[in-house]
Amino acid sequence: MNPLRIALAGNPNSGKTTLFNKLTGSHQKVGNYAGVTVDTKEGFLVHRGRELILYDLPGTYSLTAYSLDEIIARDFVLDEKPDLIINVLDATNLERNLFLSLQFQELGIPLVAALNIIDQAETMGLRIDHKQLSRLFRIPIVRTIGSRGLGLEELLDAALEVAADVHHRSPPLYGADLEAVLAKVIEALDTDHDFSLAFPGRWMALKLLEKDTDAQKKLEGHRHLAVVLDALGKAIAVLEKQGGRDSEILVSEARYGLIHGAVKETVLRDRATVPLTERIDAVLINRFLGLPVFLAVLWAIFQATFTLGAYPQAWLDSLFSWLAASAKALIAPGLLQSLLVDGILGGVGSVLSFIPLVILLFLFISFLEDTGYMSRAAFVMDKFLHIFGLHGQSFLPMMLGFGCSVPAIMASRTLKSTKDRIVTVLVTPFMSCGAKLPVYILLAGTFFSAHAGAVVLSVYLIGVLLALGSSWVFRKTVLRGETTPFVMELPPYRMPTLKGVAWHVWDKSFQYFKKAGTVILAASVLLWAITTFPQAPAGTPASEVIKQSAAGWIGQLIEPLVKPLGFDWKIGIATITGFAAKETVVSTLGVLYKVGDVKDDDRPLQGALRADPAFTPLVAYTFMLFTLILAPCFAAQSTIRAELGGRWLVFYLIFSVLLAWTLCFSVFQMGTVFHLGM
Amino acid sequence: MTIRDLKAGDHFVVKGVELSRETGKRLADMGFTRGVEGKVVRKALFGDPFQVSILGYQVTIRKAEAAGVSVEPVEALS
Repeated sequence: MNPLRIALAGNPNSGKTTLFNKLTGSHQKVGNYAGVTVDTKEGFLVHRGRELILYDLPGTYSLTAYSLDEIIARDFVLDEKPDLIINVLDATNLERNLFLSLQFQELGIPLVAALNIIDQAETMGLRIDHKQLSRLFRIPIVRTIGSRGLGLEELLDAALEVAADVHHRSPPLYGADLEAVLAKVIEALDTDHDFSLAFPGRWMALKLLEKDTDAQKKLEGHRHLAVVLDALGKAIAVLEKQGGRDSEILVSEARYGLIHGAVKETVLRDRATVPLTERIDAVLINRFLGLPVFLAVLWAIFQATFTLGAYPQAWLDSLFSWLAASAKALIAPGLLQSLLVDGILGGVGSVLSFIPLVILLFLFISFLEDTGYMSRAAFVMDKFLHIFGLHGQSFLPMMLGFGCSVPAIMASRTLKSTKDRIVTVLVTPFMSCGAKLPVYILLAGTFFSAHAGAVVLSVYLIGVLLALGSSWVFRKTVLRGETTPFVMELPPYRMPTLKGVAWHVWDKSFQYFKKAGTVILAASVLLWAITTFPQAPAGTPASEVIKQSAAGWIGQLIEPLVKPLGFDWKIGIATITGFAAKETVVSTLGVLYKVGDVKDDDRPLQGALRADPAFTPLVAYTFMLFTLILAPCFAAQSTIRAELGGRWLVFYLIFSVLLAWTLCFSVFQMGTVFHLGM
Repeated sequence: MTIRDLKAGDHFVVKGVELSRETGKRLADMGFTRGVEGKVVRKALFGDPFQVSILGYQVTIRKAEAAGVSVEPVEALS
């Protein structure tokens, strides 16, 4: 027997992911589906001897063409045609959750509902007659508590039962007026048999009445398009005349009408309580305290990350020094030793040493995300971000950008509108990622020792200002358009589980390990190769060796381009290797200044830099700005391409390089005029 | 009267959504449909966005969206 293919669907915050993890344990993998850039998780399990494949669909409130997530969820159901859908319902929030269930029923795929978080609903004084609810909606409903794994056996039993049932369960009906016009549209749609096979008639007809742009696009493939459009036009006219409002609103109202009736009949509220969430919110997002609380949280995260992260960072540093020393002792001096020690250990080691920072930052952010505070932060920040053409929800990706741009750019998927998403992705790299920090620390420590902290902070702040400013410019030029609504749920506060947080941290860090790890390894080897070959004849003075290598040629070739910024050929090379990965900037300087194996705070490199007359404090600051403005690494660039496509990547590269050059040029030239170089 | 005209703490019953397609549709999908009761819980600094309680959950909407939901103010229920 073929494995049973089940899609797991539900509202955001319905406990869907917890249920998915409980059901499938570690038997998961990330699957990719045609036309979809977003990863869909798959899980495997065996229940009563039957193999099941579970697909974790993105959490959505509806199935309109409103957001990418919603299109993914519905296209998955349309294209992959799963055998059934398990619909996770948040029992504390039944009406809005059932709104999605109805739309899955319209798609004509068998449905089983998990009435989840039933314990919290009972604490809130809600009593739900799930048997009656099940009869009214014509779907099996099983009570579950995902976090404790309760009701899962029964849920899977119900799923097997539904899968074995050959009878078609017709969805609940929406009132005579709507059903009458629906029938006419369905009739017109059925004139093309192939089209009806691809898109369930009831679903397509409702989507067309809802004036769904994606459905309209799909309709263009209909053989008798004119017939359908004619029937549709009449249907909308009739409906809007009867209802007195737009048909898309009337369809939603029809669904909610059915739901309100059913809920009135099946849900009893014992007592009204002021939920704990509201009591917390009265303080945390109080009109006047909201912003100070948020800034304090932000400050605490950064303090904790950098204070706690310093310890494991030091341990990793010593580990890599020890590895380098061992490699030197074990392997005879020569190309192999040089490749291992200078190339691989030096490059990858400098990356690994700040992984603790990235993980800690993700840990704190995931914790806050899981509590529900992050959407409050978006609420508090929305007005401010909106001024610059960003969205309250742009805030989370930008925050993550301080850790690593790769997962940060991916996090922009939660944004509903394409334009908001594009703007957020394009400005996220301005948030200084963990890889840029060692560069700032080295340069600020070397040239501004007394005020190093303030100088580094100023670079971070300039990054934030550039993000806001560019967003404003994009919104006025290439990404003009009406602003998107800020309709966002504030979920109840929940105590994050250790497992849940660990899972999220792993998920985000893994993307980092995978992408950054491979790119940086390759970049390190490449960097080593171009600084080593072609080899200078024996006896060449050390300072000349690199100048005669491929890196030296490249540096001298581009020197005219970077000269106006105050950069000589050595910094020129560092900008190029920094293009691949900012982590390699410090090690590049180390190699170029021939101080060997350097770390962020190495005295020899600081001394060598200070001794170089070409390297003034002004040049150092300009170089920090240059490092700030360019994308963190190849991995981040390939993520931009994956999320927005090649054309936007090209746009981004041109924009960031021009901005970096212009800004650095202005800073350096003005600084020179005003004699700030000394 | 629309939600925009209400103060924090005010209760209302929705009369209808009067916004252009996408935004209006989204509001309707999130539960702002005729006859539904709700409450303006609070507003952020500078009076925008709004936090609204509807169908037993909390949702944020900007002033612009609040102006598109026509309502009837009511006394607090139960």
